[in-house]
Amino acid sequence: MEKGVNMRSMWPLLTGSLLCAASVFGAPPAKVALEGGRIIPVVGDDISKGTVLIEHGKITAVGKHVEVPYDAMVVDVSGKVIFPGMIDTHSARGMDIRNENLPVTPFLDVYDALDPSRLYFEDALRDGITSIHAIVANNCVIGSLSRVIHPIGLTPDEMTLQAPVALKLSVAPKRRSDRMVQMATLRETFLELADYLENLAETKYEESLEKEDKKIDVGPEEARKRGKPLIKFEDYDDAHRNLIKLTRGELGAFIYCGIAGDVGRAVKLAKDNGFFGRSTLVLGDACFKAVSEIKEAGRPVVLDPDLLYRERDPITGDIKETFIPKVFADAGVAFSLLPYPNNSLAERYLNYQAARCVRNGVDRKTALESITINPAKALGVGDRIGSIEVGKVANLVVFSGDPLDFESWVDMVYINGIRAYERKDDVRLKQLFGDEPAEVTEGEAPEDEKKKGAEADDKPADDADGKGEAPAETPSDKANETGTDG
Amino acid sequence: MNHTTYSTRHRNPWGSALSRCAIVAGLLALIAVPVARAGENAGRLAFRVGKVITMDPGDTVINNAVVLVSNGKIERVARQSEMTIPEGYRVIEAPDKWLVPGIIDAHNHTVANFWWMDLNDMVYLTNPGLRTLETIEPENELLKDARAGGITTVMMIPGSGTNMSGFGTISKTAGKTVDEMVLRAPGSLKIAQAGNPEWYWYGVGRSFMNYNTRQTMEKAKAYHEAWQAFEAGEGAERPEFDPVFDDFRGLFQHKFPVTVHTQIYQVVMTTLDMLKKKLDVRTVLDHCTFDGYKTAPLTVEADVYAINGPRQYNFDRAERKMNGNAARWWQGGVKKLGLNTDAPVVPQEELPYQAAMACWYGWQPYPALRGLTRIPAEALLIDDRVGSVEAGKDADFGIWTGDPIDPRSACEMTVINGKVVYDADVRRRF
Repeated sequence: MEKGVNMRSMWPLLTGSLLCAASVFGAPPAKVALEGGRIIPVVGDDISKGTVLIEHGKITAVGKHVEVPYDAMVVDVSGKVIFPGMIDTHSARGMDIRNENLPVTPFLDVYDALDPSRLYFEDALRDGITSIHAIVANNCVIGSLSRVIHPIGLTPDEMTLQAPVALKLSVAPKRRSDRMVQMATLRETFLELADYLENLAETKYEESLEKEDKKIDVGPEEARKRGKPLIKFEDYDDAHRNLIKLTRGELGAFIYCGIAGDVGRAVKLAKDNGFFGRSTLVLGDACFKAVSEIKEAGRPVVLDPDLLYRERDPITGDIKETFIPKVFADAGVAFSLLPYPNNSLAERYLNYQAARCVRNGVDRKTALESITINPAKALGVGDRIGSIEVGKVANLVVFSGDPLDFESWVDMVYINGIRAYERKDDVRLKQLFGDEPAEVTEGEAPEDEKKKGAEADDKPADDADGKGEAPAETPSDKANETGTDG
Repeated sequence: MNHTTYSTRHRNPWGSALSRCAIVAGLLALIAVPVARAGENAGRLAFRVGKVITMDPGDTVINNAVVLVSNGKIERVARQSEMTIPEGYRVIEAPDKWLVPGIIDAHNHTVANFWWMDLNDMVYLTNPGLRTLETIEPENELLKDARAGGITTVMMIPGSGTNMSGFGTISKTAGKTVDEMVLRAPGSLKIAQAGNPEWYWYGVGRSFMNYNTRQTMEKAKAYHEAWQAFEAGEGAERPEFDPVFDDFRGLFQHKFPVTVHTQIYQVVMTTLDMLKKKLDVRTVLDHCTFDGYKTAPLTVEADVYAINGPRQYNFDRAERKMNGNAARWWQGGVKKLGLNTDAPVVPQEELPYQAAMACWYGWQPYPALRGLTRIPAEALLIDDRVGSVEAGKDADFGIWTGDPIDPRSACEMTVINGKVVYDADVRRRF
């Protein structure tokens, strides 16, 4: 093990793409105090010039006057803002493919599909996302087991915060299917499960008699009744095990609804099969039309990353725009926001998504909750992440200013109390801003080199006039993302 | 003229048959001469060469050496000044040449007839009951190419069209029959993690593939454990013989490895996690191309062999630079590093070019040469027989005009099991 650790500490020398992640593999200080920043705990009031104390990966003190132990590593964050690490509530971007072709796969786990070398994880760190709900996309009937991971580590095991979290279900049709087939498949799956349990009970009773050299002595109904208590958890096969956990409420359910009418179907499916109390609704953009049903259901909801819904009036031809989160906020439904999966848009930043909410009339507190504590609660880890409170995992983002201010950038990211990202050491941003010596191209005159360098130096200044913290995506970055995702 | 020939054949069939016999006899005599000569010496050969790269554990190089061969084995390796060649040995003089251990390809598909597609039986996503042993075709043209390139031992594995395509066979590249050729069967279990099997079944993802492969492996392990319990004599019931899973027993007893077709980071990572860490089988990473080298810390921790190739470079779009795959594995601390061709994807005789390319992209020549000989032998657990020129080992080696990984060098003679199987002086192939 010791040898492995050594290898890992030299890893920054070896790779660029895992470079951000790599810094954690050195021995991190056990105690860290972030001093002098404005703390936005999300739960409770903001604290100006406060201190967050981290000990062994957990937050142990938050406040204006915190006694910092003599052996803590003190980081001055005055003028900056300490914010809970943001959470991507629904993402298939860390996996090789978003969905399997097979429609019903409750026996699979995203564990087998996660690729820690994806650029997505590095981007997540840069964008202040400290936890990701790795779950299959919506093109499924029943998808795999999901898990909450940190965007850091060499293997899925190292990345995992919580597993398993939920099963993915969709009431909207899988590709090349329709709603009737979709609903029929779901219905059949749960009917088959009931059948399987009955048969298993009968088999178990028969087996128990065989041990005593007896033949079955009662009718099937009675045999099933007697057999039921004999079933142990290990007796369930892979195809059914997770469905059983789901129906017992031992697993969460993330149910995708494509259109408003799907909401009722999702609620019925969940209620009929005993997992309503653990359900989260993943909503397509048009689902806001079922807001009263959703409010009545009272389950957590995840909104489509496209926050603006446009429709055309069939008679007048007028375009009507609806800002979706406002509808939910007005109805008093707590929601989680998603980052837009397209790398080239500002919507990829969760704090930008929240800022748009505020701009469109959602109150600031609701907006901040929708990228931190709401996702944490929906994932069943509300007691571990999602806010700055004593006892929680030290997943923190240090912003250069207010998180909803578009001029702020992510300065540092702490995961499990370890500094996982620091903007000043971000190799790719250095490449982008030209802080690194430009690569020598054949035949290029040294004067040109100098000029290039001068231009590059000006870049950060340009950035301040309105382009915001978002570093412009370069074509090659985009190519890379498409390359690895496709 | 034509007419005469035609009529003669019809009038006197006996005469014609006799003349044909004469031709055949003449040909036989031609072939028989070297055989007879070898017979005289009872397979005793002495090679007087300029340099022997022994590839022994001490990495000894002996200049101006003699290598004695008898009964198919290497009898002695010594400096010319320290030994006089005993009576009864046919002496082969190559004073300016290098004697190099027979090159080993740990990932090969040419021992069967590749062109008949005896390679990928895409029955299921995992096909545990298949063996390449049953497809071997001795003396096929690709084997002759291999010998002419100094390649003496290959791991003939089934293709990567499915996640588990069957059991490979370790075979010499010479021999008239299957029995003569085979060094060990099963040589390995072949698993292909992702890559080609993704196309199976209208497309399948890694979560299903890994689940499915694990299922098959666990069934096999349960079969092995049932037998183990029975053989331990602890009153366990005798399990039913299962031809599909019986070959796996050697794998779980660590008698042979699983050779895994791997490429990118995630695939290498999964291989190490599933096969080495959780199922505890001896694992060899094959190909391990693209950005697979980024798993180096995990690979070092897992302590497995990596047999890289035939793709020797990777343009890393994240780092925006060209990388030599072997060089990056080596820099990452993976010293159990060899090379393969995936022949006939890359012609078998071009295995040394893999080493040349690896060096061009930043690896070092001597480790690269070791990666063609001793490393694959160790990886495949055949280093007691082949992979180095040491007394007691199989007399498998090539006589080269220089360093094999220098593309200007040529293999002039190949010896397998103490027999000269290729001699450029008699008939040059390339």
